[in-house]
Amino acid sequence: MQKFIRIDMTTLKSTITEVPAKYAGLGGRALTSCFVNDEVNPTCHPLGKNNKIIFAPGLLSGTSAPNSGRMSVGAKSPLTGTIKESNTGGSASQMLAKMGIKAFVIEGKPADDQFYVIKLDINGVTIEAAPAEILGGCGNYEAIRILGEKYGAHVGIALAGPAGEYRMPAANISFKDPDGNMRSAGRGGLGAVLGSKNVKAIVIDETGAGKVPIADPEAFMAASKVFAKALLDHPVAGKGLALYGTDVLINILNEAGGLPAKNFTAGRIDFNDNFSGETMNATITERGGDGKVSHGCHKGCIIRCSQWYPDKQGKYITSGFEYETIWGLGANSEIKDFDTIAYIDRAMDDVGIDSIETAVAVAVAMEGGLIPWGDGDRVLEIVKEMATPTPLARIIAGGAGVVGKVCGLYRTPVVKDQAIPAYDPRAIKGIGLTYATTPMGADHTAGYCISGNILKIGADIDPLKKDGQIEYARAMQIGTAAVDSTGMCLFVYFGVADNPAGYQALIDMINAQYGINLSSDDVDELGKTVLRFERDFNKRAGFTNAHDRLPEFMEYEAIEPHNVVWDFSPEEIDEVMKF
Amino acid sequence: MDDAKKMLEIRGFLQLDAFLKKKYGKMPIFLEIDGPISGLELSEKLGINRDDIEVIFVNGFVQQIDYILNPGDRMAFLPPGCPGPYRIALGFYGKNQDNAANFKIKKDE
Repeated sequence: MQKFIRIDMTTLKSTITEVPAKYAGLGGRALTSCFVNDEVNPTCHPLGKNNKIIFAPGLLSGTSAPNSGRMSVGAKSPLTGTIKESNTGGSASQMLAKMGIKAFVIEGKPADDQFYVIKLDINGVTIEAAPAEILGGCGNYEAIRILGEKYGAHVGIALAGPAGEYRMPAANISFKDPDGNMRSAGRGGLGAVLGSKNVKAIVIDETGAGKVPIADPEAFMAASKVFAKALLDHPVAGKGLALYGTDVLINILNEAGGLPAKNFTAGRIDFNDNFSGETMNATITERGGDGKVSHGCHKGCIIRCSQWYPDKQGKYITSGFEYETIWGLGANSEIKDFDTIAYIDRAMDDVGIDSIETAVAVAVAMEGGLIPWGDGDRVLEIVKEMATPTPLARIIAGGAGVVGKVCGLYRTPVVKDQAIPAYDPRAIKGIGLTYATTPMGADHTAGYCISGNILKIGADIDPLKKDGQIEYARAMQIGTAAVDSTGMCLFVYFGVADNPAGYQALIDMINAQYGINLSSDDVDELGKTVLRFERDFNKRAGFTNAHDRLPEFMEYEAIEPHNVVWDFSPEEIDEVMKF
Repeated sequence: MDDAKKMLEIRGFLQLDAFLKKKYGKMPIFLEIDGPISGLELSEKLGINRDDIEVIFVNGFVQQIDYILNPGDRMAFLPPGCPGPYRIALGFYGKNQDNAANFKIKKDE
């Protein structure tokens, strides 16, 4: 029997039931978004007692399927006011799946200020007072060490860092990875939701758990092999991401003129070589020590886009050092020293704050005169101050939208109050349509995958022209919503998009695990259904098509080198979500 | 035509970054040309393996390998391995559909 767990923080009691029938066929984002739409009052305050936060492994998590260790976290977002699904690696998803936990929900709110640790193990749920030493500003690295000593090094951990404890709108939920470092359910402030329920940490102990049941093991293994080969044969997985990480995109987006620079006032810089993926590879290789060019964020990852970035003495600084963070602090904030960017990335992991939201907020704060342009040392101080937040640290942790308002700026790159990531919509128009219309607020990962024949959608795309972009943005969001429900990392997309056998193998694995017979049309329909749940929630929360817009300045401020503005009409934008 | 206008500004990404920096000691490289030259011809001139090129950038636009370059252009060689939906959004999928070394599974496998 798969379990559905509810933990009520008002009464400090939990219930474990069979999975409600309507959720039985869902996993990951499909489950979290369906549940939030069903049970969370869309007009509730995100930090009040009526919000609920749900954690759900994907459909394939816990199996031997490569790259299937992702987990979805869902709630109403304190950053955007919309529904939110935030996705993470780490160890927790696979452990929960092996324990037969389809999902667990945290609801209610304690009457006092006591923070708690929730422990999930094979015997059920335990709720106990959080150790005092991990509260009140203790960094996540130290908190994971302390919790590891108390509960065992083998356990999975999800944490509200100091930013979450203080309920700051950009707070993330940090997840321990297999090496004891951090992965994040980064976007949308779900760490603040966890903090609002006085939950400091969730400890997951899989001791005694069995294997995930597979209805047809032979068919599953056969499909899994085909799938793994499709991933490994593809140059993106085999070369690009494994050697250069996602930071490989710095040089590429810069060359395309779509790398937002100095708070979105240009599309290209001349100091990109300071912190490109190629420079990262060379630096890690040269420094040696703890450095690793390639590293997986969860067991079974065969793409290995993460890395360990060391200091000049070879000592570990940070991992999962992503393009969007490096872009936001580098190109967009003009911090030109790679090591300084790495230390800020580590500090953001340590306080538990979304590195994209924070990096964009920093650039807006620089434009607003709160921080000198390019002053990485000051940014590092401010991020560290988020552990026991000063007023300025709270403002930056409020997100880019808050900073723009505080500074009286019109050039604030947000959609639904979530910061626009590292791809300028004026120069890459299809991405702009996704930023505008995704139910999540501006989110590059909302439009990452297409199911089916990519050439029907993508063969004639010109990044500066409108032709085909509406169909592109629609298909990408539908495909992504489906893949987010499987527990698969979005980077499997390359193997399945360019190799029809790989895509079929993904469906075959789901069918073999559950003894069902999904077709690619069914998977497409799942993606559409997820988006409908999310749009319905947002509509009932008060959002309309008028919120599906990019910031106005992009309509009249052209960026070099292509000298382009955002020129989709409201009517054209609204076509994206018609399906 | 003055000297600057005769120059091609050349970059290489992924493994070609290290390759060109090692060979020429810097990035970007400036190469004087007298007239139009295709991306393929340029790659041969620089000793770049054809399998190491998925697409080229020319003045900020993705083009296929045989696109004609002119003096004064800024160009870059991009090997297979660029991740993300940007492959579609930047126009990779309309380029090089018939080339053995493009993003698709290699023809000899």
